[in-house]
Amino acid sequence: MTSSSAGAPTLGPPIVDAFDAVPVLAPFRETARRGDWDALRSMLHGVGSVDDLVAVVEHLARLDGIESGLERSVADRPDDVLVTLLAARYVRAGWEVRTRDRARHVSAAQFEQFHAMLGRAERLLVDVCARRPDLAPAWSTRLATARGLELGHGEARRRYRRLAAHHPHVFAAQAQLLQQLCPKWGGTWEDAFAFARECAAGSPSGSPAGALVATAHLERWADSDSRSGRAHLASAAVLDELREHAARSVLHPDASLGVQGAEAHGAFALVYSLGGHAVAAAPHFRAMGERVPPEPWDYLEDPAGDLVRFREAAFRSETQGEA
Amino acid sequence: MSTAPSGTSPSAPGNDAAGLTDLAGFVGSTTVDGVPVLLAPRRGDVTAGLVFRVGRADETLATSGITHLVEHLALFDQNLTEVHSNGLTADTYTLFHVTGTPDEVVRFLGGVCSALRDLPTDRLEVERGILRTEAAGRSGGPARAMRVWRYGARGYGLAGYDELGAARVTAEDVRAWARERFTRDNCVLFLTDDRVPPGLAIDLPAGTRFATPAPTTALPTTPASFVGQDGSIVLDAVVPRTAAATAFAQVAGRALFRDLRQDGGYSYTADADYTPRDGEHATITLYADTLPDQQDAAVGAFVDTMARLRAGRIEQDELDVVRSRMLRELDAPELAAQMLPGYALSLLYGRPLEHPDHGRAEIEALSVDDLRAVAREVWSDALVQVPARTLEWAGLDAAPSWSEAVLVGRRFPRAGSPVFLVVADVGVSLVTPQGASTVLFDECEVMTCRPDGARFLTGADGFTVPVEPTLHPGLTRDVVATAIDARVRADVVVNLPARDPDVVPRPPDPSAPTARVRTALADLGARARGWLAPRFGYVVRVFVGVSALVVWLLGRALIAAGEASTTDLVVVLTTAIALAAIPWIARWWLRRELRR
Repeated sequence: MTSSSAGAPTLGPPIVDAFDAVPVLAPFRETARRGDWDALRSMLHGVGSVDDLVAVVEHLARLDGIESGLERSVADRPDDVLVTLLAARYVRAGWEVRTRDRARHVSAAQFEQFHAMLGRAERLLVDVCARRPDLAPAWSTRLATARGLELGHGEARRRYRRLAAHHPHVFAAQAQLLQQLCPKWGGTWEDAFAFARECAAGSPSGSPAGALVATAHLERWADSDSRSGRAHLASAAVLDELREHAARSVLHPDASLGVQGAEAHGAFALVYSLGGHAVAAAPHFRAMGERVPPEPWDYLEDPAGDLVRFREAAFRSETQGEA
Repeated sequence: MSTAPSGTSPSAPGNDAAGLTDLAGFVGSTTVDGVPVLLAPRRGDVTAGLVFRVGRADETLATSGITHLVEHLALFDQNLTEVHSNGLTADTYTLFHVTGTPDEVVRFLGGVCSALRDLPTDRLEVERGILRTEAAGRSGGPARAMRVWRYGARGYGLAGYDELGAARVTAEDVRAWARERFTRDNCVLFLTDDRVPPGLAIDLPAGTRFATPAPTTALPTTPASFVGQDGSIVLDAVVPRTAAATAFAQVAGRALFRDLRQDGGYSYTADADYTPRDGEHATITLYADTLPDQQDAAVGAFVDTMARLRAGRIEQDELDVVRSRMLRELDAPELAAQMLPGYALSLLYGRPLEHPDHGRAEIEALSVDDLRAVAREVWSDALVQVPARTLEWAGLDAAPSWSEAVLVGRRFPRAGSPVFLVVADVGVSLVTPQGASTVLFDECEVMTCRPDGARFLTGADGFTVPVEPTLHPGLTRDVVATAIDARVRADVVVNLPARDPDVVPRPPDPSAPTARVRTALADLGARARGWLAPRFGYVVRVFVGVSALVVWLLGRALIAAGEASTTDLVVVLTTAIALAAIPWIARWWLRRELRR
């Protein structure tokens, strides 16, 4: 389906998949699926950026069934990165049991299993962090366990501080803490926005941190009733703030977004679209292309359908603007 | 009636002489009246310490305080203000010490020994009162709770309780205890002088040396955690006595201070302690308070610091700083005199005495690996008190809050509560929806009795059952007397004075159902007020609008129906006035409730 103007890209229907959206992840997935843990270990140790390592581990943790292979591998040859991946897998599996429903819709049995799996992960990660306090994916995963086990906001922030002492701008970890600071996990909007803005302001130009502010707005929208939520996102003040952060982060000429680039662009695309700022959303849709990660589109009730609609609207408005 | 010690038995007369050869030239030794004497000179006045191998851990809960009473009675005759002297009753030893001229030392020790041979038990009631006053002045602290959770209500756990035995032991009990434990075979004397002062006599009866009590345990597994009430974090563990363990405690204390206070700001105090418990073991205690709002971070930091130490990620200079401090202590002037009390205890415990050169060599050889090994030992034996929630997530079991066994027998429910008491042939259980607490009569360490009929039983494992007849219909004095009192050994019964009537629990109001309805209505009213108050103006405007509409419609209906009779007009007018009055009444009601 194409647009009539020469400026709009020709894009097929979106393929929404966590791995497919990020081509560099494919070899990691294949190696993990094959159960070649030695090779995976070398590949992970070879990942250049800390941000990317955290994101790769988070993605690999979505692969069902890799636990038993990993357990055997680390029993034979302990390796802190693989242990972290195993822990992250337990965390992911635990969340799958709990689901993302609000607490009142989750049964006691689900919670028990959820906590048990998170506890398993946590016990591995305490020791990993003791040996390797500089291992970012371990701290990042511990932000998720702290949240799920409800260890407290002070403890979550402490873990983030421990990570930031070694690596101050880990986007995936910042996103984890941002979740904890939202009211649904016992925080406040003041805290959530303050943290997002702080991270965005403190990070180097071209890093994805500006997308945290977009995510904060998305969380707030998701938490409110749709009319007031959309009205807020439509406001000029929000548009201006987001534009500023987008320009400094994902749209910056020196942008190096790594594995999480598509997700960062997606946050802006979605928040602009919900606010009716279709023109602003266009460059982000263009940057994402056809392969789109599930987040943050899973905030919507009809992710695939809405994604297409928003994307079309964005390109259309861009063309109209140019005409 | 017996004051049988729990878990301690006489040991063979120690081959004390063998332990002293290592110290030749460093610490002198001799015997006086059969009592081993350790000598090491120091400038100034002479300090003498007469140490007996008996303390709180040798008692039972029903006799707890008896050693302390003996200590007080033995010192009664001494004019403590004239000479620097005092007594101290600890877990495994009792110490009488004095500092003065050689003559004063001789006089003091002579007085103590003569009192021990023939205790002034006419003073017993007064000393009981003094012990109570001393106890009231002491703050509890988390250390007490830790003892009970680890050891239960016996042996080393007794330090976690009040001296309940002091209220019930008789003069004969006290004398018998002195005769058994305060003997020349169960003590050691140390003197900070190079010779025994002329005229010194240790005139005590013959007896036996008692080994330190075997430790009891109330923890099925370790590491374990429990939730405490005072907001602090405490970890303790029992480990072998080594230089590595001593060093570890210091390293851990500094690490906690840096991580929790300096770097984190989660705690104000964070430190560690190493205290020998007996001849082979020491207790390491790590402690941190928590600043308000920082409890969860303090706990997390504590767990992470311990994990780092267990992983052996200890900087060389962390060890070196502690090592040099420990070595400096061994360079102290008059070291031998300083070490005398420790040597005296080692002699009593049957622990080999070592020249400080040996200790120096051990300290110099310490490595980070040694510290890591101790860290792992500490963690595997750890009992941790936490401020808010147990540490299952960190791999610690929850220490048992409830008894495993729930007895079956006569049930006495509590009025208006799901809690009930079970009185069985073998013991009592208090059953709550969360769990039960059980004390078997055979394992009852103490039962306290109040004149109002209440009983409080404490079991060997530390679990307790309160029996409050006022709360359980059917639990009459007769029942208590026949089903409980008759089954508890007389020698564990402690009669306590009457309670303040306000403290005696009362059953809930029998008119409870109507009270519940009343509170439910009051609750509803409060919620309605809460909703109405901020929106009052808005609601009034809506109400007035709707009322005007109703009146107008009514009027129109009447007009449309035909002629409006006077009655009809009156009806309409009354309705209008009534409707108009409602907002005023509502405002009055709101104001009245808010004024209350």
